[in-house]
Amino acid sequence: MFVFPALIVIFAVSIYPVIFSLYLSFTDRTLLYLRAPKFVGFSNYSNVVSDKLFWHSLKLQLSFMAFAIPLELFVGFLVALLFLKDFPLCRLLRSLLMLPVFILPVVSGLTWRLMLQPGYGLLASFFNSISLGPKAWLADTKYAFVTVVLQDIWRMWPFMFMIIYAGLSSLPSEYLEAAQIDGAKFWQRVFHIIFPLLRPVMTMAVLLRMIDALRIFSEVYVMTYGGPANATLLLPLYIHKQAFEFGKVAYASAASVFLLAVSLALSFYLVRVSFRGEVS
Amino acid sequence: MKKAKSLRLILCLILVAIELVPIGVVITNSFKRDIDIWARGPFYFKPTLKSYRAVFENSDFRLALKNSLIVATSSMAVSVFFGSMASFGLVRFRFRINTFLIFLILMLRMIPQITLALPFYILFRNLGLKDTVMGLAVAHTSFNLPYVIALLLPFFASIPKEYEEAARVDGCKPFSIYWRIFFPLAAPGIVVAAVFAFLMSWNEFLYALVLSGPRSKTAPIVVNAFLGQYAPLWGQLSVGATIMLIPVFAITLGFQKYIIRGLSSGGLKG
Repeated sequence: MFVFPALIVIFAVSIYPVIFSLYLSFTDRTLLYLRAPKFVGFSNYSNVVSDKLFWHSLKLQLSFMAFAIPLELFVGFLVALLFLKDFPLCRLLRSLLMLPVFILPVVSGLTWRLMLQPGYGLLASFFNSISLGPKAWLADTKYAFVTVVLQDIWRMWPFMFMIIYAGLSSLPSEYLEAAQIDGAKFWQRVFHIIFPLLRPVMTMAVLLRMIDALRIFSEVYVMTYGGPANATLLLPLYIHKQAFEFGKVAYASAASVFLLAVSLALSFYLVRVSFRGEVS
Repeated sequence: MKKAKSLRLILCLILVAIELVPIGVVITNSFKRDIDIWARGPFYFKPTLKSYRAVFENSDFRLALKNSLIVATSSMAVSVFFGSMASFGLVRFRFRINTFLIFLILMLRMIPQITLALPFYILFRNLGLKDTVMGLAVAHTSFNLPYVIALLLPFFASIPKEYEEAARVDGCKPFSIYWRIFFPLAAPGIVVAAVFAFLMSWNEFLYALVLSGPRSKTAPIVVNAFLGQYAPLWGQLSVGATIMLIPVFAITLGFQKYIIRGLSSGGLKG
């Protein structure tokens, strides 16, 4: 059988670890293996739910997604409209726009950190020159979160752009031509024809970005490590810190089961909306 | 009409410039000395290769680069080998359970890495896989294998069934039908899958952070470590980052045609 070897590997590297993590979440296992773990029922879960910091990082996670993703979608959509008609250099510019999407998250985070250094960072000096500074952008609880969101928007709106542009260029051109002949204005065409036709593509792009945003880790880790004063402690960083800084592996497992459930629910929905047709 | 065209061009040029500034910052800083970066501000630029020399003389970085290459290549190879077979099997043999398996695999691509990092840490320590290059490759297979299967499904599904029937009539065994006919026919898809699997592994940071140690650390870890405890070595950091970016940009610009497909199959990792 062809599927079998892959299934064994998948079981070993994904399914079994998930089950093991579920098991851990019901024990009092710590990072250092001091004594045999005891079964503690749901107490890890109830501790997570009563932890103020957990709710704080959940709130950060949600606001991160609520700010970053709609803005990325908006900019991506507008730029896709710009590229609707050919103009000189448009192919070259389009391929250059792809680069940020593939830049290593770590490199992106570190670069933003460098650019935001007060005194010698490029972006920090720019903010100074438009009299917004000088400030220690990443060390300030008010601004650290904003810069993390900005970094994400900078890196990911081209992703939205690429997906939407691909959808846009595969639309049958008759619709748009017919509307143009009927005298529909540009914005009327955008709202009444392009937008509805692109709905499925945009839903898919947004879902992919949401699932991806739930995994965000390295950029934030290298930019701020969740700080200052937990101002950028997104959910994956919270879990990481609980497990590997405080050694509370079982507790962190309980929190990560929650994250996993949300991710799987979103990807269940994604698979249903976007891949049904493709597979069968 | 002419005016509208140049307006588009100008707007797009501005956007592209904004998008490229941080990349330019990395590359230009790699040609500066660490001390010049924080002592002379962002606009001082007298190119030197001092940082490059320092990085290449750093045995830690050389080891990490080698580890990164080994991990990415081996995880890619394993994922493509098992993944293409599975994808072929899922599309070609119609069992009830296959629909369920496809659904399961498509969902498994999306497990947050932090959820797996905790059990991996403990399991790997028990199995002696912690701080080994092989352990990291195994961890990376957890996202690469389902990804490869998902990406290849439409490729295999689009190959006409007649090929298979003709081969079977000629007495071809199932495995050689796959290996001699379908594998070469799906070659474009397999190349894309391999390239994306390599990239995802190359860019990966969280598993490397949690599961690696002095012997098995990968390049992103060492690049981040240039920040240091006392003074940030931005110049050397930028050199490391620039080197990491070379294959990434070469691949993205070389595989433009397939990028949308690769991305919408979930080829994206934080």
